[in-house]
Amino acid sequence: MNKIRKTNLYILGGLLSLGTVLMAADHIDAPAVVGSTADITDLYAFEGGNPDNTVFVANVQGLLAPGSSASFDENVLVEINIDNDGDLIEDLVIQAIPRDGIMYFFGPYQPTQTGLNSTINEDTQYLGQVAISTGANAITSEANGISYFAGLREDPFFFDSNQFNAIIGGMAPGGFNNPGNDDFDGTNVLSIVVEVPNSLLGGTFSHPAGTGVEVFNTWAEAKRKQ
Amino acid sequence: MKLNNFKNISAIFILTLGFVSCSSDDDVIVIDPPVAVDFSGTFSQEDQMGRPGINTVFSATPDIENDFNVTIPSQQGAAFQSLFETQLANLHGAFGATYENNILGLDITTLTTVLASDVLQVAPDAPTTYFDGTNVLTGRTLTDDVIDVSLILLFGGQNGDRFNGQDTNGDGTPDLPILVTDGVSNSGETPSNTFPYLEAPHGS
Repeated sequence: MNKIRKTNLYILGGLLSLGTVLMAADHIDAPAVVGSTADITDLYAFEGGNPDNTVFVANVQGLLAPGSSASFDENVLVEINIDNDGDLIEDLVIQAIPRDGIMYFFGPYQPTQTGLNSTINEDTQYLGQVAISTGANAITSEANGISYFAGLREDPFFFDSNQFNAIIGGMAPGGFNNPGNDDFDGTNVLSIVVEVPNSLLGGTFSHPAGTGVEVFNTWAEAKRKQ
Repeated sequence: MKLNNFKNISAIFILTLGFVSCSSDDDVIVIDPPVAVDFSGTFSQEDQMGRPGINTVFSATPDIENDFNVTIPSQQGAAFQSLFETQLANLHGAFGATYENNILGLDITTLTTVLASDVLQVAPDAPTTYFDGTNVLTGRTLTDDVIDVSLILLFGGQNGDRFNGQDTNGDGTPDLPILVTDGVSNSGETPSNTFPYLEAPHGS
């Protein structure tokens, strides 16, 4: 690495270190949610053990040390959004919110309003609930073909985030190491898992990247009671 | 002893009064029904994510990071694409390089346009994976190496290995940084094949 490159790197590092804490999927991604009960760490969506189902995993409050007493916040609604026509606006939502040790689920259903603010429709067709798991045993439940889980789990995310931090901080002109170090090794996270029959998830559209695969869009939101 | 008996009777009586607080005029004792669970109110967005790492990589300042989380996906492209393009260009500039079209053939504007709308595409009737060598962005499994996929798309250039610690002048030491893999694999992750799939927590 020549001198000019190093100089550029240090200048960039100075700029970036002001703004970037560390890259970690979505763990602690912005100052307003760092360390908050509304910090979404990861979203996964994949085919279930039953290939006619899709599994959604929304994780919150990452980097929990073993033995942490972290718990879901009763004022935070976790919402999985589904867009069936590619306009980036939710057509269906699956909502999860805890009350007194139980996670309650609503949907998938069509919300009465889209966007930044949500309400919960308690009269929607698909309702579920499951006791929140705090240990190794995973308590699950099922209703209408939908499976439910909520509780503490091992964080499946893996990443050498400290080295990434060093790179964008201008401290690692050589980039990543080989091998790197998994900074999420040994940490836990609070997981919400719901497995839903595809027949309840609405329509699909052609992949926006032009691959021709039929898809829907999904994303997770954490919303706090006002 | 009599005093103790009296205390016990009093306790039972008080307890009974508690239970009959909702009784009607007849003689039937009615136990209070469980309090209805309250789900009322309006819930306002604080965090949002579709794909891993988008906000943390592309948002260059705390204000941008916070704004991104409270912007709905349909408005993210217009609000953040140009900022993300600048950030990706700067990340290359720090290594004396400029962005090269990636293995998907996407130029920097197209790539940041795709990524600025932070949603995850999911295929209900095709293999679900972030990238498995064949299928691209059709979901995300618990073991997908999303970091390496992201790094390859951002820094890998047309062959995907543009910055991988190459020794370009043959002096035995790397001349290029490693930016297309973080050197961490999914080998430590062993999710289950059955619901709820995630592993038991550490320390349990």
